[in-house]
Amino acid sequence: MVNVMAKGITKIYKSRRKEVVALDNVNIDIHSGESFGILGPSGAGKTTFMRIIAGLDIPTQGELYFNDELVATSNKLVVPPEDRNIGMVFQTWALYPNMTAYDNIAFPLRSLRMSKDEERKRINEVSEILGIAHVLNHYPRELSGGQQQRVALARALVKNPSILLLDEPFSNLDARIRDSARALVRRIQNELKITTITVSHDPADIFSIAERAGVIVHGKLVQVDKPSAIYSSPVTVEVARLIGDLVELNGRVEESNNKIYAVVDDFTFPINKVAANNVRLGIRLEDLKISDEVSLGDEWVFVGRARVKVSSYSSGLFRVTVVPPSNDNTEIVVMVDRPFDVGREVNLFVKSGKVLVFP
Amino acid sequence: MSSKPGRVNPTVKAAIHQLVIIIFVVIWLIPIYAMVINGLKSNVAVYTTPVLIPPSSPTIEPFQAVWSSLSRPLLNSLILVLPVAFIATFLGSMAAYFFYMLSNSFSRVSSFVSNFLFSLISLATFIPYQATLIPLTKLIADMGLLNTYWGLAFAFFIFYMPTGALLMSIFITAIPPRIIEAARLDRGSDWRIFYKLVFPLSLPGFISTLIFNIIETWNNFFIPLMLTTTPNMRLIPVTVQSFTGGYATLYNETFAAAFIASMVPLGIFIFLGRYFIRGLIALGTGGKGV
Repeated sequence: MVNVMAKGITKIYKSRRKEVVALDNVNIDIHSGESFGILGPSGAGKTTFMRIIAGLDIPTQGELYFNDELVATSNKLVVPPEDRNIGMVFQTWALYPNMTAYDNIAFPLRSLRMSKDEERKRINEVSEILGIAHVLNHYPRELSGGQQQRVALARALVKNPSILLLDEPFSNLDARIRDSARALVRRIQNELKITTITVSHDPADIFSIAERAGVIVHGKLVQVDKPSAIYSSPVTVEVARLIGDLVELNGRVEESNNKIYAVVDDFTFPINKVAANNVRLGIRLEDLKISDEVSLGDEWVFVGRARVKVSSYSSGLFRVTVVPPSNDNTEIVVMVDRPFDVGREVNLFVKSGKVLVFP
Repeated sequence: MSSKPGRVNPTVKAAIHQLVIIIFVVIWLIPIYAMVINGLKSNVAVYTTPVLIPPSSPTIEPFQAVWSSLSRPLLNSLILVLPVAFIATFLGSMAAYFFYMLSNSFSRVSSFVSNFLFSLISLATFIPYQATLIPLTKLIADMGLLNTYWGLAFAFFIFYMPTGALLMSIFITAIPPRIIEAARLDRGSDWRIFYKLVFPLSLPGFISTLIFNIIETWNNFFIPLMLTTTPNMRLIPVTVQSFTGGYATLYNETFAAAFIASMVPLGIFIFLGRYFIRGLIALGTGGKGV
């Protein structure tokens, strides 16, 4: 088992006209046997970071260690990718198109020069676990997306890698089978205790696979924590947006009866004390509620009267957009379990202590 | 049938396309046609009938007349050209892969060396080889290889291996780079990555390059002209040229000889032409070529 430590990893791509900073002083310690997620928008540098770990790219500055052994340093590859014992599932899977699934999975084993019996045993074992034993004689082009992904995963796992790298492994899959694929990866990771690093822009991947996650925005690692902790207390509004759906509002800070409020048109949101006069608010969709009742108990705080502007539907819940009566442009999305008629007025509530405040 | 105004009827359009193709094919076929029919004319008929009119009484005498002097050069060309073109193309592909790996390495020195050497090779293939023939002949003579298969093979390698490397490097860069990266992570050695992945995945390109090299080597006139003097070592293009005599030319025999000489490249192109096309298509579709 291997622990991965990055010290001040910086990657700058130079072209004739300009420099692009893909990674900016990334420091991280990924524990041995841990399942780590890297979340970030496209182009933030996540894949570059993963390629540096794999040895397919080198840092412009900084050092990368596997178990305290230096593997890469400024512009220098100390340990080449073939000696890092890394299993990687590429976003495009990168299966060898001219080989059957069996030969694809056997490729890394044949580099190790093991006996044919041992080779067959290990391939059968891994393909049983991944449910691809019946397609081993097929070529990649004859396989479905899910099967191709599992062949790629089998190829990465069969050599008992010290580190498993997954680059957006589920983005090319049908939404239908994504969850079962995530469960599979999580289970295998749990059983084998391989240090696993998953790169994704989809928070669902991070929540389902990662024990801990790092968020990369514009090449900077801005937050490292448990996914649920990042979700509930993101450091910036970008991070909040990346890891889950969010209602964003601009509010004016006011104080009355020794309590601090952020005022947004006709709404008043209770917040903790802040230094600024104007703040950016973020509220998770599940922390908002609309109701005809005047009170919903201590947990929910009344925010103000709201008018239903749009009533729509999304995965098992009704998605209602409400606005304050005085401003039709301040839209707030609320997920509720029943439809509301457009135009009628309702009471808007927020869960107490759940309003995120960003300067 | 209603056709929208301003739009050509599809049938007419298809017919025009076919017509254009037919015109090109006819233009391409005229020399071959002339070669065949004039080779079938008698000594008198070849002077008295226009070149595109077939003979009234065809005869295979000219073919019979030239065969005895063509058989040995034909054999020489076959012995030499097919293995030389194959080896040149194969080594060229390996060189192309080597340059690909070198230019993708992180060492600035090796990518500089790679680019420099590759530019040099490209430059060398663009220099007309006739310009280098005198030093080449001197080199081969000093090595004592004049009038030998080895001398000719060596000279052909010098010119057609870089061509192979140049063409193959275009095909190799069309292979998705992630596949080669995956193979490196799977601890594939350079040789294994080459013969298990790069070579099979660029096979249509390899065949295109091979055909190109066969035809170029087969038709090469200058190199065998300079490096061989004994009749036994003559290659086919030089022999064909010898039919145009200093005082008079037997046109019917020259045509027959030219036809025999062009049968091999023609046959190769006809049988392997679809791979040639497939190789070109592979360039446009991301290099899978399957």
